[in-house]
Amino acid sequence: MIEVQHLTKRYGQTTAVDDVSFSVAKGEILGFLGPNGAGKTTTMRVLTGYMPATHGKATVAGYDVFEQPVEAKRRTGYLPETPPLYPEMTVHEYLTFVAAIKGVPPASRTRQVDTSMQTARVTDVAYRRCGALSKGYRQRVGLAQALLHNPEVLILDEPTAGLDPKQIIDTRELIKSLAGDHTIVLSTHILPEVAQTCQRVVIINKGRVVAEDTPDNLTASLAGVEAIYVQVDTGGGDAAPVLQGVTGVVRVVGTEARDGRFSFEVHSERGHDVRRDLVSAVVSQGWGLLELRPVRLSLEEIFLQLTMEESESDAARAASSRDSDGVASEASSAADSGAQGGNSDA
Amino acid sequence: MRNALAIARKEFRGYFTSPIAYATIGLFALIFGLMFVAFLRFFMEQSLRAGAGGQMGMGGPQTVNVNQMLIRPLLLQASVVVLFVLPLLSMRTFAEEKRSGTMELLLTSPLRDWEIILGKFFGAAGLYALMLAVTMLSVVWLFIYGNPEWRQVLAGYLGLLLLGSSFLSLGMFISNLTQNQIVACFITFAVLLLLLLLNWVAEFAGPTMREVLTTLSITEHFDDFAKGVIDTRHLVYYASFIFFGLFLTSRSLDADRWRG
Repeated sequence: MIEVQHLTKRYGQTTAVDDVSFSVAKGEILGFLGPNGAGKTTTMRVLTGYMPATHGKATVAGYDVFEQPVEAKRRTGYLPETPPLYPEMTVHEYLTFVAAIKGVPPASRTRQVDTSMQTARVTDVAYRRCGALSKGYRQRVGLAQALLHNPEVLILDEPTAGLDPKQIIDTRELIKSLAGDHTIVLSTHILPEVAQTCQRVVIINKGRVVAEDTPDNLTASLAGVEAIYVQVDTGGGDAAPVLQGVTGVVRVVGTEARDGRFSFEVHSERGHDVRRDLVSAVVSQGWGLLELRPVRLSLEEIFLQLTMEESESDAARAASSRDSDGVASEASSAADSGAQGGNSDA
Repeated sequence: MRNALAIARKEFRGYFTSPIAYATIGLFALIFGLMFVAFLRFFMEQSLRAGAGGQMGMGGPQTVNVNQMLIRPLLLQASVVVLFVLPLLSMRTFAEEKRSGTMELLLTSPLRDWEIILGKFFGAAGLYALMLAVTMLSVVWLFIYGNPEWRQVLAGYLGLLLLGSSFLSLGMFISNLTQNQIVACFITFAVLLLLLLLNWVAEFAGPTMREVLTTLSITEHFDDFAKGVIDTRHLVYYASFIFFGLFLTSRSLDADRWRG
């Protein structure tokens, strides 16, 4: 439904989007994830025909956004970062105007306006001026605007930005319910949002795609290192040096020690399963092994890892596993605080 | 075309949601009315003197022509007032949409650039036409108590409409260059004054240069309309001026898009 090939956008000397390619199947929700300034909005603006790309090609619903802009726009609903409202118009007037310029035939305008107001739950403010609405309502009127002409493709730039927790949940539910009939691309920098709403994620950083997969696969396979959670009862002594001594282990991070019980996160080289060796090391010391399980990195950690790796030089990325592990553990410690922030957001 | 009309309607209504429509229409009507009264008094004096001259045997009673002595100077003065008022109408056309982010809505809707530009142009020109229509209330008195040539009045108003539309097309281009309405207003105003000054500069110029400058001068072409003459040359001039203004607007709209 959406095809983006080798898209590059430069503003003067700055490259906002650099050789980005991805595609979205019909009825799918694609999450566009990245830190602020990563090029999410620019990519969306190219997709909606707001600005042309410097290089590359984008097609929406089979129409090239540059060659056949009117056809492509007719099939696209777009919610920009700030909802494009005319403050002096009432919601109803505004949506009626939008219906006219989106090419909704006059006969079905009233019906379409009513439907979109119901879907976006703004019927109760239909005769209030847009300028007098709260942030949450503005966002929803913006959504109603995007849905108005019942487009095949919806492009939503941070649809939950500035909403309160209840509204965020409502909006996510709404977006999920729209999938199937509509193909949706949404951008966000809030990670739980992607895990909860999207079927597929494109992580973008500094204008480049750094990962593209389902949230589950990303969590499972894109971890830079494999981590194992181990809880040991040593009865007193420190277990860290012993665990560190196991071949394949690159780093041992102690999380807590209580009543002689130590909890560790053991990072190993990628593809090197150290669980067997860990068990025999613990047992040979005569300690009790209380728990041993693989740690799956959360999306936050992967995200931070990917976007921080990108900030290192390419040489560092290609360097030894020891180095990349260093980056990863920095990322995961930062991710702890990030995760808390993210959760309180949700 | 239907899209352009939808935008024109929105623009026209937009003027009335802010005080700008009431302020410009009201002020223009007031200034026009005052000028009308002033010219009317002058005209009455002239006709009395002309009548008296006849009585005193100075070559018999002279006829004073209401069209030449009242309507023509009135419309010429009005054209200057228009120059001051129209930047207030054109300033918001694009600057406001850019500032509030609604330009993103227009540019991602299935519209062609010319539909957006023509829509905005007709919206502003519509308000201007209404502004002119209100001033006709003054002129109507002449028809009640006198017998002016209505074709000349109509030609004059057509001229004012064309003149103002030219101002608007240029003002829209300037409005598209900035996000700030006030800046747009002042620059438009300055540029229009410069165009007006071409007349004065022409006074000092050599014969060839004078010809060139007066041909370019935007107000020079209005004089014939005020006299009641509809000359194709002037129609072509104003039509090309409007087209040029709108063309510049469309170019700058496109340039913005590439610049991002």
